[in-house]
Amino acid sequence: MKVSGTAFLHGPVESVYAVLNDPAVLVRTIPGCETLEPVGPDAYQATITAGVASIKGSFAGEVHLTDQKAPHSFVLHASGAGAPGTVSADVMVTLTDEGDGVTLLSYDAEAVVGGMIGGVGQRILTGVAKKTAGEFFAAVDAVLTGAAPAVEVPAEAPAEVPAEVGAAPTIFSRPRPVTAPAGGLVPGGDFGLGVAVGAGI
Amino acid sequence: MKVFGEPIARLEDPRLVSGQGRYLDDLGDQSTLAAAFVRSPHAHARIVDVDVTAALEVDGLVAIYTYDDLAGRVADPLPVLIPHPALHAPRTGYALAPEVVRHVGEPIVMVVATDRYIAEDVCDRIRVTYEPLPPVVGIDNAFRAEHAVHPEVADNIAGHLVQEVGDARRAIDAAPHRLELHLHIERSASMPMEGRGVYARWEPHDRSLRVYSSTQTSTSLRFALAHKLNVPVDRVEVVAPDVGGGFGVKIMHPFPEEILVPWAATRLGRAVKWAEDRREHFISSAHERGQRHTVRVGFDDEGRLLGLDVEFLHDNGAYTPYGVVVPIITATQLLGPYKPGAYRVEFHSLYTNTLIVTPYRGAGRPQGAFAMERTMDAIADHLGLDRAAVRERNLIQPDEMPYDHGLMFQDGRGLVYDSGDFPATLDKIRKLVGWDDFATYREQARTEGRRVGIGLACYVEGTGVGPYEGAHVRVETTGHVHVATGLTTQGQGHETVFAQVAAEELGVPVEDVTVVTGDTRRFKYAVGTFASRAAVMSGNAVALAARKVRAKALRIAAEALSCTPGDLDIVDGVVRSSAGGEIPLKTVAVLANPLRYAFDAETTRATQFAVGGHLDRPPIEPGEEPGLEATDYYSPLRSTFANGAHAAIVETDPETADIRILRYCVVHDCGTLINPRIVDGQIHGGVAQGVGGALYERIVYDDHGQLLNASYMDFLIPYASEVPKIETDHLETPSPLNPLGVKGAGEAGVIPGAAVIAAAIEDAEGFRIDKMPISPSELWELRRRHEAGEVPGLKRGVRP
Repeated sequence: MKVSGTAFLHGPVESVYAVLNDPAVLVRTIPGCETLEPVGPDAYQATITAGVASIKGSFAGEVHLTDQKAPHSFVLHASGAGAPGTVSADVMVTLTDEGDGVTLLSYDAEAVVGGMIGGVGQRILTGVAKKTAGEFFAAVDAVLTGAAPAVEVPAEAPAEVPAEVGAAPTIFSRPRPVTAPAGGLVPGGDFGLGVAVGAGI
Repeated sequence: MKVFGEPIARLEDPRLVSGQGRYLDDLGDQSTLAAAFVRSPHAHARIVDVDVTAALEVDGLVAIYTYDDLAGRVADPLPVLIPHPALHAPRTGYALAPEVVRHVGEPIVMVVATDRYIAEDVCDRIRVTYEPLPPVVGIDNAFRAEHAVHPEVADNIAGHLVQEVGDARRAIDAAPHRLELHLHIERSASMPMEGRGVYARWEPHDRSLRVYSSTQTSTSLRFALAHKLNVPVDRVEVVAPDVGGGFGVKIMHPFPEEILVPWAATRLGRAVKWAEDRREHFISSAHERGQRHTVRVGFDDEGRLLGLDVEFLHDNGAYTPYGVVVPIITATQLLGPYKPGAYRVEFHSLYTNTLIVTPYRGAGRPQGAFAMERTMDAIADHLGLDRAAVRERNLIQPDEMPYDHGLMFQDGRGLVYDSGDFPATLDKIRKLVGWDDFATYREQARTEGRRVGIGLACYVEGTGVGPYEGAHVRVETTGHVHVATGLTTQGQGHETVFAQVAAEELGVPVEDVTVVTGDTRRFKYAVGTFASRAAVMSGNAVALAARKVRAKALRIAAEALSCTPGDLDIVDGVVRSSAGGEIPLKTVAVLANPLRYAFDAETTRATQFAVGGHLDRPPIEPGEEPGLEATDYYSPLRSTFANGAHAAIVETDPETADIRILRYCVVHDCGTLINPRIVDGQIHGGVAQGVGGALYERIVYDDHGQLLNASYMDFLIPYASEVPKIETDHLETPSPLNPLGVKGAGEAGVIPGAAVIAAAIEDAEGFRIDKMPISPSELWELRRRHEAGEVPGLKRGVRP
């Protein structure tokens, strides 16, 4: 399955690139991301809650980045497995300076979605993936424009993250469960591929 | 009194439509354990690790099995059911995958728990680590063989067969006209309302196994299980309970679950059950249909075939447990009612990382009919001739029967048509659909801004393949008749038609006949229900067994009435002599079993001091057996060939390209009809699946071998609203090969579906349709390409 799209982000390419490579930001902006733990240079283990409609669950997986040409492009590789199925994706991300401090982000993803989520949810996967990616970019843009804090505010104690995980210094945990925007396009919310697409973008 | 040939209502329906049917998942009780399976989410991957740690704490878990737990023959590869010399590289999977998985859905772990919910929860907690391998998906990729499904079969070719009669290529090259066509049929699948299922009980005290399976062959499954589990065959009984549809997929056996569930029952000493869910049916049972054909044909000015050369590629999925039966059927049945001139056919059967391919109703014939009938239409268009006329010129004539094509059929016997009146069939379909008046209708529709087209397609179907079926017929001392045959029932109405056969032969009311099928406790030797063979095979076996019973009854009655059997007839359950004597059949049944001990007034008549008889002869004569019962078998020389023709009128929406079937006509010749109502029902069901195969049903894999439409949200099956009213006419050309003169009818309705609807759409649109099924969006795209000059129009210049 192929998914591609673009987004305009309000920041110069250098800032966008930096934000997209900052796990502290990513864990707060990737829809459904519970934890993101660095396991090596540009490599992370992630736990993401995702699904389509009733086919929902927790994915455990890995994300790593290659082919980084800062600040213009990188390739993100994500793979994960959980009760709803399996996801693996290669996402080519390109950043283009549009002037006036605006960056055009283009992504081109080739994803394999297996298990129940692939066979039963297929019809709406692309739509859900794009929607999730859109949510992610909106969250990243909010960080870039200063509308949202770039790092976690300590007062917002994690509600759904186990204490020991939240306490581990090298694990970036999500402060609160993501809430889908009111009147979202697709019932059932986010989905693993979109998350994978978004995971390192 | 006559009941054979009458359209009586189905005897099983009051039971089935009032909820009294007992299907696989109705069996068992609270103590029955449930199985569930961890299946591969990858099309091709190495299994690196199976971690069950997180699953072990689940309350209610009974057992987890992986390949390493399997022992003896259960750990062996699954059988190659139908070996064939052309299947040079057969490969089968295992009950549980040992190292490598080769399609999405392949079972890796079996979980047994106190109920299915718990078993599924356990499956969710088992972590399998995979190393993905490059998947081979699609016929072109398989043939290109950049990657292999099985490392030792580098070219992905499982089987390769060439059959040739005459020098087809030379005949084509020398012909005044030549055409080449590329004709594709996509993958589809049987979709029985009830999926597969297995329920097994093991009795440790006598080491016996009872297995219930939603199968199309209980007898063969019994032998396979006895072998796999190393249990004497007389300790294994297999019963097919009520089965909610099969359509071919359940003739495949033993499926992994059919071995594993009984095996687990023997290991655990507990009853174990598994009922397939719909998603499992999509990814773990079997598919069919996917083939790409290249047809080269040479013909004369009149459209007569001079040479036909067909090469096709068949996608057999990841394994070949059922052999190359489907492409063999295409290769032979493609010829339909025509004389091809010189004929050459060649196929390659290819491995792909997709689910296995085994017969689905029609079994290679819909593809063959599509290839042949599209060719007929192309010839007609090329020469500017009427499509029916071209067909007529190529038909085998009744006086040429039996007609030997010089090819070998799927049963290893000659492709010899036993009978049929093909010109009469074609004539009837033309009249039924109003072929010759269609131009007027088209003009009228055009003035209304409507776009309509007509098509027709013929077929011949080899039915009733051997090697044999048998039946046992017993008259009870109550006069009730019990019939048992070994092949299975999936809703066809066997309880009715076999009762009609027995009632007619024995001269008893049909209500007095009870039929049991697919229960090895009642009949142990059988082949199974497939290839439109039940009426031919078991129908004749029931007739032969009933004739034996009748002969015995007349012999005993003649002695009792002091006459000769030739003086006797059985009417309404009473044996009557021409002299006016009579004796009820139930009394004959009493007399047939000389007794020492009586248990009621009736049996008193058979005890030693009651019967007269000859004191100088034993009570049971040499060669005789007690009881008014008999077993007999029917084993045909070869298949008997049914035939027919379909015609359809379709309307395509000029704006949206929506496709609507306005009329659908069927002319059908399956020899002598046992029950016309049931034959009509078979045709209706077949046409519904034909419409599905033409316009809706397709199995879609992506490049990674993921099945994209594994649910009824996305795999479309026609509802009643999409199935047209079916107008039917019958011919009855009795088969000379069997006592009843019957031919099979089960698959006929589906065979020309894609061909006839493609022909009608083509006629409406004015450009060729080479690929089925077709959706409105695909038709819309073809229109766009046609307008852009990328898809050539028909020569006959249909102007929508």
